Amino acid sequence: MLDYDIVVVGAGPAGSAAALKAASEGKKVLVIERGPEPGSKNVSGAMIRKDYVTSVFGEDMPFERNVETIKLSLYNGNKPVNIEFHPRGLVTTGRLKFDKWLSSVSEKAGAMVIPKTTALKLNWENGVAKSLTTDRGEVSAKSFVLAEGVNSLVSMESGIKGDWTPENSVQAVKMVYSIKKSDLNTLFDLPDDNTGMSWRMITSDPLIAGFMYTYKDSLAVGIGSPIKELIDRKIRPEKLLDDFLAMTGIAEKVKGYSLREYSAKIIPEGGFPDINVAKGNVYLCGDAIGLVDPLTFDGITPAIASGTLAGEAAVYNYDKEIYRYNLMKNPEISKIAKERKLETDFMTGNKAGEYINMVSSMLEGWASGDLMGIRNTMVSNYRNLIPDLMTFVMRMR
Amino acid sequence: MRTEEKLYTLRYKKDDKSHLAIKDVNTCLECTAKYGEPQPCVSICPANVFSWQNNRIVIGYENCVECGASRIACPYENIDWNYPRFGKGIALRYA
Repeated sequence: MLDYDIVVVGAGPAGSAAALKAASEGKKVLVIERGPEPGSKNVSGAMIRKDYVTSVFGEDMPFERNVETIKLSLYNGNKPVNIEFHPRGLVTTGRLKFDKWLSSVSEKAGAMVIPKTTALKLNWENGVAKSLTTDRGEVSAKSFVLAEGVNSLVSMESGIKGDWTPENSVQAVKMVYSIKKSDLNTLFDLPDDNTGMSWRMITSDPLIAGFMYTYKDSLAVGIGSPIKELIDRKIRPEKLLDDFLAMTGIAEKVKGYSLREYSAKIIPEGGFPDINVAKGNVYLCGDAIGLVDPLTFDGITPAIASGTLAGEAAVYNYDKEIYRYNLMKNPEISKIAKERKLETDFMTGNKAGEYINMVSSMLEGWASGDLMGIRNTMVSNYRNLIPDLMTFVMRMR
Repeated sequence: MRTEEKLYTLRYKKDDKSHLAIKDVNTCLECTAKYGEPQPCVSICPANVFSWQNNRIVIGYENCVECGASRIACPYENIDWNYPRFGKGIALRYA
């Protein structure tokens, strides 16, 4: 049997961060990846914070365009209220190129990466994982990192965590359209091929968080919607996306351009801190413990943050409470943990609709000079909604 | 655009063995009586993997985009949901 110090399941951002950390500490590390190459099974709807990624993985990160404009739209019915601002340091990136690069950095640090291999189960003895069974055989290690993504089958099989439920998960579908650079620049008023924009939308009924952003020579569009709501109302996600594109006017813009790729992904909503993050010598990180921001769809930053900590935990064989503590004190992760309650309210009550209606009536009132209207909205909602609302608007960025 | 046309954009290597299975066909009858059609798995799947034919769920696993939603949506945990073996299934390029 092959024997390593540390075996990492998954060569996404969390797994590659864990492998990089462990290999940099001189450990013999094996990463197994179920896809034909890193990134080939990965879907995301987020912009990436280039400085953060660079701080962990170094320079030369591949990306598509710098996001210089973000437009937010709150849809109350069919008419949106828009907010526009200009962020710094955000880029768009395609996951195949991005994840391959992350993995190559871990390889340069000494990790061995084996693709086309699916992890099946851990083999335990007295609470200690001894080996991992894959579809190509068994491999033993002193400790394991499960960076296996949202469908964390090995973690579930080992009883470390349960599955997501319709109440705490979001179904996202995404489409990428081929649009040549010059057309894309004209369509979205972009000055050159390196400048991009992003648009985020929220609708209240049904509750949808939508996104659109520019790649180099293509346009990515997608939506996420709570699974519970979709199944209760028997709404087909791909139909919802089509309707959404029509409503937002994106369908008109992409008319005549060909669809390059269609994909789907579950976004976990429950999870850390209300989840088990380790068992014995096995440490979970990234999507597997629910580290995705549901409004910005950014799972990459917390995946890298938690992956690095899981790699460290695996090197020193930390007790699970120490690993949990390290996760909790990391700013990228604690941000999600703190806001978990708000997310839960968002998903289960119909607070989202209330927020959206309130924000749009406030902004409309502001725009039309109806100060009494704004005051009434604020007074009638102040106690229960305003504090949450501030968090909500801040997080949409 | 039809779902099938969207799925044509995907690069795919078919495993001979299905990575998805229904654990107990009788449970699907119970589910249909309670939830009606389309059942939660049929409704949530963005790739038309599940269909209701002759009183049973038929799985077209070669359409699967490996998102996992059907496993979560099934009220009876009646879907044996695995990943395709040996790097097969979808291979995304632009997501």
